[in-house]
Amino acid sequence: MKDFFYAIAAAAVLLLVVRRRRSGRQPPGRMTVRRLASSLGGFHLAGDTGLVAQREVRERLRGRFFKVITLILLGVVAAAIIIPTLHSSTRPVVKIGVAGILTPAQDRAVTAALAHIDLRGQLIVQPDLASARTALRAGQLTMVIDHGRALMVETPVSSSSTTTASAAIAIAEALGSESAFRAAGLTATQASAVAHAEPLPILSQAPRQKGASRGTAVIGLIFIFILLTQYLTWTLVGVMEEKVSRVVEVLLATVRPVQLLAGKVLGIGLVALLQAGLVVAFALILADAVGSDILHGTAPIVVVASLVWLVLAYAFYSWVFAAAGAMAERQDQAQSLSLPLSVPIIVGYVLALVNAGPGPTSLLVKIFAYLPPTAPFAMPLLVAKGEVAWWGFCIAALVSVVSTAVVARFAGTVYQRAVLQTGRRLRVREVLSRQ
Amino acid sequence: MAEVAGILELTGLTRRFGGVTALDDLSFTVASGRVTGFLGPNGAGKTTTMRAIFGLTELDHGHVGWNGGAVGPRQRRRFGYMPEERGLYPGMIVGEQLQYLGRLHGMAPGAAADAATRWLERLDLADRASSKVSSLSHGNQQRVQLAAALMHEPELLVLDEPMAGLDPTGIETFGAVLTEQAHAGRCVLFSSHQLDLVEELCEAVVIIDHGRVVASGQVEELEIGGSPRLSVRVEGDRDGRWARDLPGIQVSEVKGGQVRLVLPPDADSDAVLDAARRTGRVLEFTFERRRLSEVFREAVR
Repeated sequence: MKDFFYAIAAAAVLLLVVRRRRSGRQPPGRMTVRRLASSLGGFHLAGDTGLVAQREVRERLRGRFFKVITLILLGVVAAAIIIPTLHSSTRPVVKIGVAGILTPAQDRAVTAALAHIDLRGQLIVQPDLASARTALRAGQLTMVIDHGRALMVETPVSSSSTTTASAAIAIAEALGSESAFRAAGLTATQASAVAHAEPLPILSQAPRQKGASRGTAVIGLIFIFILLTQYLTWTLVGVMEEKVSRVVEVLLATVRPVQLLAGKVLGIGLVALLQAGLVVAFALILADAVGSDILHGTAPIVVVASLVWLVLAYAFYSWVFAAAGAMAERQDQAQSLSLPLSVPIIVGYVLALVNAGPGPTSLLVKIFAYLPPTAPFAMPLLVAKGEVAWWGFCIAALVSVVSTAVVARFAGTVYQRAVLQTGRRLRVREVLSRQ
Repeated sequence: MAEVAGILELTGLTRRFGGVTALDDLSFTVASGRVTGFLGPNGAGKTTTMRAIFGLTELDHGHVGWNGGAVGPRQRRRFGYMPEERGLYPGMIVGEQLQYLGRLHGMAPGAAADAATRWLERLDLADRASSKVSSLSHGNQQRVQLAAALMHEPELLVLDEPMAGLDPTGIETFGAVLTEQAHAGRCVLFSSHQLDLVEELCEAVVIIDHGRVVASGQVEELEIGGSPRLSVRVEGDRDGRWARDLPGIQVSEVKGGQVRLVLPPDADSDAVLDAARRTGRVLEFTFERRRLSEVFREAVR
């Protein structure tokens, strides 16, 4: 996996370098975002739709908004991945006084026992037992090992919830076992094999709780929500601005409305995909580098499912938001039009987040997973919790694709009729009933 | 004159917006190789007509033809349009915007880049190629808009109020470009309320009112037609009051002591001269053609 991502990154860098050399005009130096935008905006898509999409990609990548949002997303993802691993790498240190001498086997047993419960031991040799007791009483030591025969702590170990209690129990058990192995005459290898015996797996009839996958799913839900709302707003405002600036009149004098609309949706969609891909690649590389559990178990499948549903969600909603943009002429009109369209997004998002815990998933979420407006949030959650079969996933995706085709046709009609009408806000009924 | 590129034919265009008839069985043709002025009072239907040429408004009846065939998307790629409401992306770089619009008209990337450079130089904007459109003045944005309409060397050029708000230098440049385009054999149709400018630039005009053609033809023919004009200047007279009571004579204009009279065909010009003499010494007494502004006023009266 690691090699695969490094290969992709290397190929991307190579491609940019080759492009830059071919152009032969750019001065040497660091690759600015503008040049990156030009490079990425220079991809070729056939026809007028491709030209429109290409312009969208180039202009959006150049925009400050894209850069800021990308940096914020990368920062948030980095924090979400690194902080938990930092927590696990700074294991608390237990100061253990040693009165007398510990054998190397005892020393290893103590270290291994502490590591098993995510603690680190610092063995401090004491001159004698009296000094060790004094240090323990003064709080300079957490516990004292008395010649490998007993363990002393300041307060009785009645609860296993504290670090001291956990450490004391673990060390006591480890040293006791080590003493028993020695008494039984086991060799070092035999003692080690017995000490590290793997327990039998415990199988449950209920589905496994997939902690790592659910965590990935929650990050994915937030990610889909942020990107979806960002790019749908771009689509809506972009169409509205073309209408208000009247540039649409110049464009539609040579391009058909459906081509213009499709180009805009495709262009912004490609930017969304690029940004999502960038963030996911960054997250996976970083997770692999720092040893995060985001790559464990079914988490990669959840990542892929989230990306698939981001694309399907954008495809479904973008047409509707574009049509809404064609009916507005001012920011407040755009907001009032987008509000009802955003309701299913918010409902799906909130409901999925509420059900992201280890408990059972509600029936409503399972139903929502097959409805195109809410499926982008509900379905990745079901994947993360292992509550949907592959064919269920495919059916939901198919329903979404078919619904998108219907919605696109309807939205295209609204766009075509509304985008050239200026001077007042239009209503859907008025647009659809227009002779 | 260069080879004629084509002829634009508008036949029976009718467009109603609710109870308002914007175009009422409107028909006229625009020939190549000359600049045709498209005139009419506000609300006459000029912009709707131009939008209809580009399919930007649905017609209730009628059709737009080019060289005997119907106009569709393929033909419109070879047309150039400058709408009244200027249409450019404010945040886009001038040179890139022109290339983009050129490519939407079917130009190859290299040809679009060359054309953008050429037109920006021709319109004195070469140093603003890397600027954002929003950073340009109103007049310079208008120049960019004209360049956008010309990028792909269109066979038909339709411009809605292209010179409104331009300074005299801009008007001169635009006028020269339109004349060049017409002389290159292209079909040029532009609307304006600046009648002196239209008279100077156009060889032909179409005047519409209430969605119908009320006058059309060669400017010279229109000016020759109609009642003759008599321009009279009398020493010491500023308001031309002496001419107001002359039977059958209509005062067309009084400007700076010069009285412009409309004579009916059977009018007695000697009677006019006598009336002028009774007022004072006659400094000027000249028969003239109708001005385009008079043709316009009489047509839309």
